[in-house]
Amino acid sequence: MAKGFLPCGTYHQDYLHDHAWWQTKFVKGKMILLGIILFFVIPHLDPYWVGVANMIGYTILGALGVDLLIGFTGQITLGHAAFIAVGAYTSTLLVLEFPWPHAFIHMGIAYPISIIVGAIVAGLWSVLWGLPSAKVKGFYLILTTMAAQFVTVNFIITQYVAKIGGRGQAFSLPPGTIKFGPWVMDNPIRVYYLMVILVLLCIAIVANLLRSKPGRAWMAIRDNDIAAETLGINVVLYKLLSFFVAGFIAGIAGAFWISNLAAISPEHFPWSWSLWLVGVILIGGTGSIHGTIFGSMFMVLVMEFLQMGILPLADIYPQLLDKFFFIKESTFGLAICVFLIFEPNGLSYRWWQLKNYFNLWPFSY
Amino acid sequence: MNQVDLFFMTLTTGLMVGGIYALIALGWVIIYKCSGVLNLAMGELTIIGAYVTLTFYQMGVPFVLAVVISLIIGLILGILTERVFLDRLIGEPILTVIMVTVGLSFFFRGLVEFIWGTDTKVFTPPVFPLKPIKIGFLVVGSVYLWSFITAIVLLLILVGFFQYTRWGLAMQATADDEMAAISLGVSARFVYAAAWAIAFMAAGVGGSLLGNINGLNISVSYLGLLVLPAVVLGGLNSIPGAIVGGLVIGVLQNFAGAYLSQYFPGGVKQIFPFVFMVVFLLFKPYGLWGWERIERV
Repeated sequence: MAKGFLPCGTYHQDYLHDHAWWQTKFVKGKMILLGIILFFVIPHLDPYWVGVANMIGYTILGALGVDLLIGFTGQITLGHAAFIAVGAYTSTLLVLEFPWPHAFIHMGIAYPISIIVGAIVAGLWSVLWGLPSAKVKGFYLILTTMAAQFVTVNFIITQYVAKIGGRGQAFSLPPGTIKFGPWVMDNPIRVYYLMVILVLLCIAIVANLLRSKPGRAWMAIRDNDIAAETLGINVVLYKLLSFFVAGFIAGIAGAFWISNLAAISPEHFPWSWSLWLVGVILIGGTGSIHGTIFGSMFMVLVMEFLQMGILPLADIYPQLLDKFFFIKESTFGLAICVFLIFEPNGLSYRWWQLKNYFNLWPFSY
Repeated sequence: MNQVDLFFMTLTTGLMVGGIYALIALGWVIIYKCSGVLNLAMGELTIIGAYVTLTFYQMGVPFVLAVVISLIIGLILGILTERVFLDRLIGEPILTVIMVTVGLSFFFRGLVEFIWGTDTKVFTPPVFPLKPIKIGFLVVGSVYLWSFITAIVLLLILVGFFQYTRWGLAMQATADDEMAAISLGVSARFVYAAAWAIAFMAAGVGGSLLGNINGLNISVSYLGLLVLPAVVLGGLNSIPGAIVGGLVIGVLQNFAGAYLSQYFPGGVKQIFPFVFMVVFLLFKPYGLWGWERIERV
């Protein structure tokens, strides 16, 4: 998608300016406003809505990697939940089982280290499952990523990893174990701050990668991999790099999410979660970072409103409450279909149109 | 039980389950051949048919009649699905079409769980006698045997339909060259609808048979997903390939369950077809009989 039109009187005179993040003072002001809302307004909302914001952040972190693979490198993946699970389990095991020196636990750096290690392990695991992409693509690659999901979550994690330490299926995370520096992650607001920082960091990493050499190589591969190869791009290397970065962010997502959970089990990372993430980027618009954000917000908020709409009805039809999850699944499926059929460019395209409209408003001709 | 007996038992059970997989895989290949849609909702199509059959069977309808009713409902649903969702997507990129089928699978799954719940349901009274049947020195559960026979009969009917009837030939022509078929007066839209209807019906029968083996719950849809390794093995657009692939996957799965699970306890039986598929893809990405596509810039 082309960049939007610039406001009147703004001309780029060099590439540095053209690729700048914040191109006008107005944009800078908007971003500062967004920062104020993120850091000072949302935490003071009702804790329930802060929890919803955490869910949105988790979805953004998960979907960002999927968008990198599908939207920017053209490698369709339907097994991303596997890498989120790897990150979450690595981090949990490190925090619970690793013989940390007491000073480390006291200072609360066990969890931050485990996030980084979890992200790296998830990235390497993702590269392993990305290896077939050197040889196959399109539908066949979809199948191998599906296999990644089933082998990782349904087999390795369920049968082996989840049994480490003899805790049974679910690892409980006792209150107080997840500690980030001096802060114990025990209420949604602290989790929220961690989430905002991680999301901003990951978006910054991805956005910077996309406007540098790897990003251009990824987009070339997406548009036509054979042509990219003739241009001298090392296709396999950049595909694997893309898998690594996507897995890395998935690992961060998983390691972050354990701070919000009281127990972790393989059921948190089903195949439908992988599909859900792909649906989120399709609804938001593939190949754009703000599409990922809009898609996550849209899906999580629609589900929240659906729940709010159904709760009053539950007095009349009590079974409706038990069956809410199924309604949610059906609605999500329909939403994907409707968006793909009627709005294939996603929400970010509408946003782009809206922005352009107001950039040239009121004399657009 | 000695080793030889175990080997042959595993082989026959595998072949018989494989017959059902072959039937579902055939439905998948028909959709792909005729309309180019790579369908990830096959698992859900399987359970819809199975649950419809179960519902009517519980109401006292004889099993065969229940299957026929499920076939009719499958036909209607197949045509509806094609008309409402997939008809608008002809010529769209592959990801779009695949994700619409994923959306459909979410939609159908939610619907099935909403209507029938998530508890395992069993066909009561059992459709097939519980007593195993002896053929020579082999002992086979009668469910497996009857499922296999049904699947083979249906496979033969479908293959005959494609080879000898007017509609079947029209579908083959569309699969071969859509433009040429349209210019000769074949209605491509009719062919697409027919392909989805056939896939729905084949998956429904397959699901009804699978539901008889271990009871019916949402995880039967996972068995429906096993068609993917099967069609990859046979080649995406090959009807004989789907049949062979289904049988091979059934056999491999049972061998993995019998021989590998002592080394890797747990669900190796469920996972093995997918591992096999990944390794197979690395060496023969177009399957045994699939068409190789050569790409140029």
